[in-house]
Amino acid sequence: MTNSEQPTPAAGPPSRGRLARRLLPGGEEPDPRFTLANERTFLAWIRTSLAMLAGGIAVEAFTSGLFLEPVRKGLAVILLLLGMMLSGGAAVRWLRVERSMRNKAPLPLPLLVPLLAGAGALAAAVVVVFILLR
Amino acid sequence: MASRTPSPHGDPGLQPERTTLAWGRTMLALVTASAFFLRWLPVYGLPILMLFAVSAGAALAIYLTQRSRYRARAQGLAGESVEADISAVLWTAFAGVALGVLGVVVVLTS
Repeated sequence: MTNSEQPTPAAGPPSRGRLARRLLPGGEEPDPRFTLANERTFLAWIRTSLAMLAGGIAVEAFTSGLFLEPVRKGLAVILLLLGMMLSGGAAVRWLRVERSMRNKAPLPLPLLVPLLAGAGALAAAVVVVFILLR
Repeated sequence: MASRTPSPHGDPGLQPERTTLAWGRTMLALVTASAFFLRWLPVYGLPILMLFAVSAGAALAIYLTQRSRYRARAQGLAGESVEADISAVLWTAFAGVALGVLGVVVVLTS
């Protein structure tokens, strides 16, 4: 980037790192604003994931007087697994969006959205069932 | 336009600032999570310190790279070329996955 002022579009810019050439092959550099927007969306998913992870730890520690042990541990594990999948899925989505933008293809549908909705509903259902049966 | 704007990159949408702030918010979330894990030390015992170490370490790594990140993006935007920061994305996601795995282990063994 610093050596060559104008990289030739046909040969591809030589300044890209090994990881970038391997994980983001082909296409051409998208508008830098889109790359930064993609990164901010990734970070928003990471923060959502952190809320789930902290929530999972809290449910197990905080609700020992409220929930039976299996319910408590089940809820905690659901939230922790959800947080884990959101973090991993956020990176996958970031890569897929970045690849689509390089190839000027339509952006992929976010699989993270139904995952978050489904797991959230499952966690809520566990609490509802427990409260009704209590 | 360039003469009127005080920013080094000349982007009216302030993309480098917004992105650096997004990293800053994520860092704060990690610091909050770290404090949260420490708070439950009496309940879980020493294993919870692994989660604290991962989240506090990730927060520190973001903090230490904020300046160079902003500089690279501001300069890149001035030249209309910003390279996607793959390693930062992968490390951050790895920290989240590691927190999940460690959390499940801590919850199931406590």
